[in-house]
Amino acid sequence: MTTAREEILTRLRQAADPAIPLPESSRPNAQSSDLVSLFIERATAVGTEIETASPVTLATAIINELTKTGVSRVAMWEDRLLTQVRAALRTTPLQVLDPWDHARDTVAGADAGITIADFAIALTGTLVLDCSPAHPRSTSLLPPVHIAVVPAAHIVASLGDVLTRTGPLPSALTFITGPSRTADIELTPVRGAHGPTRVKVFLLT
Amino acid sequence: MVRFRGLRNSAVEEIPNWQALRQYAHDVKAHALAHLDRYLQQLERQVTEAGGVVHWARDADEARSVITQLVKSSGRQVVKSKSMTTEEIELNDALEHAGCEVTETDLGEYLVQLAGEQPAHIIAPVVHKSKETIAALLSEKLGVPRYDDAQQLTMVAREVLRRRFLEADVGISGVNFAVAETGTVVVVENEGNARLTTTLPRTHIAVMGIEKLIPRLADLDVFLTLLPRSATGQRMSSYVSFLTGPRRAGEVDGPEQLHLVLLDNGRTAIHADSSMRESLACIRCGACLNVCPVFERTAGHAYGSVYSGPIGAVLTPLLQGLDVAGDLPFASSLCGACGEVCPVKIELPRLLLELRARVVRQQGAPVAERFFVWGWVNAMKSARRLAVAGKVARAVHRFTSAVRLPLPYPFSRWSASRELPRPPAKAFRERTS
Repeated sequence: MTTAREEILTRLRQAADPAIPLPESSRPNAQSSDLVSLFIERATAVGTEIETASPVTLATAIINELTKTGVSRVAMWEDRLLTQVRAALRTTPLQVLDPWDHARDTVAGADAGITIADFAIALTGTLVLDCSPAHPRSTSLLPPVHIAVVPAAHIVASLGDVLTRTGPLPSALTFITGPSRTADIELTPVRGAHGPTRVKVFLLT
Repeated sequence: MVRFRGLRNSAVEEIPNWQALRQYAHDVKAHALAHLDRYLQQLERQVTEAGGVVHWARDADEARSVITQLVKSSGRQVVKSKSMTTEEIELNDALEHAGCEVTETDLGEYLVQLAGEQPAHIIAPVVHKSKETIAALLSEKLGVPRYDDAQQLTMVAREVLRRRFLEADVGISGVNFAVAETGTVVVVENEGNARLTTTLPRTHIAVMGIEKLIPRLADLDVFLTLLPRSATGQRMSSYVSFLTGPRRAGEVDGPEQLHLVLLDNGRTAIHADSSMRESLACIRCGACLNVCPVFERTAGHAYGSVYSGPIGAVLTPLLQGLDVAGDLPFASSLCGACGEVCPVKIELPRLLLELRARVVRQQGAPVAERFFVWGWVNAMKSARRLAVAGKVARAVHRFTSAVRLPLPYPFSRWSASRELPRPPAKAFRERTS
């Protein structure tokens, strides 16, 4: 008895056509003069909130944001870019969940998740997040608010730029364009279907 | 659906080389399909190397039993994100039969499941239900008040579904693209339920038709430009996940096991059918549904299959047989709008016509139709005969309109709801000579 694998491959092989070539790579044409302002425009258009900050003001800006919105527990990536933010958060009454505290129930109970973005895509207003032991996937997924720190230098024009610049792929590379949304009920747009209701970017300049 | 159409048009206009990208996507898919045996093996190697496990299934039955086995070895609480392929193989029934509890987590699909129905549209499964119907449904099934706005109704579902996610043992998702080069499974969505499905449960099972394959990672630049813009008119869907293997050493979340199920279920037969093969290039965006005048008036359920609209009218007869679904290719005005919008340039009108021809060859045409076509063919064969036929037609028309006589049976079946076009007093050739 042949296996499913052999049978499927044999059928496909019989109809294979080596004459059909693979075309040279192609990409969408994109205007890309001022990537930072294009990113701001496109990200804002999908409902991402953007605030600019400098490395000096970042920690204060994030703490202000968290206290203003009544956050008491925050999940957070371990990252060079977030070292000062973490140190500043330790001086506040806020409870900080490190990556190794990311048991799913505890992250689900966090009010906000703080990550960085490896890349941001100007053309579509998209954040690109990798994953690793220090960068859990659920930080940007389970809490109702996602805060992402994006250095302006991480902004590229299109998805193609991310694909050529990224090395070996992580177990999950996640592209986030605005808050979670649905329009399933009478095509009425609703934010926060399953993922974060708010996405806030601190753009580091 | 008219709303999707407008959004699509403005999203498309933003990309100056849209037509070139359609051609490119068409060519990449044609190449991938022509070398599918080779690429599927490459995909298998890459997925395995990343720590995943690949399974092959010849038909729905085999897929159901493979998946049921996998689920049972991980637990019995299953969460699913939207997948037409799993609907095609009627997976939920099989899993529930095996004692598993299956929850559809896409908001629309969840509502469809609560109501015990089938989805009506690829992208908007409950487009056929009013807010009031949904409020009544949630109130009846979950014992919540009858909320009257979409926001509150969505939050009710979110809360129920979030608990299911946190308790689930297995997550089952579909696949939008699978990259042979890297073994990456790509899942595109707006709600975040696919991310939850592929992040929280211990086991992730991804189910794909063998035609979803893309050769290179770089090709995704174009395919992910075409798909969201064509589907919902978004520049990019809210979430796109590139999943390469299960979680790695030291990672605190993500599934411990990743299984990829490769499904044939009639696809190799379409693949072997050279004039129909291009229908396998479909990326399930739904653009052809949104522009189709027939779909607009009938909605999805009328097609009697998971795949509706113009692409459904092609795929369903190919997957289920012309004897079962041979009437679907006739559910088209052949206006050509579907072929115009298709982001991978599938020649849908040509495929519909070819299937019609096959139905006629197989089942024959009604006597009256054969007689007319015979007459038409013969009249068109020479200028003299055409002139005679024209004279006869004008005479008949003058007579019937003078006496207001309905055409006799069987012609009355045609004329009952139509005005017979009025021929000019003189034929074109008589006027110019």
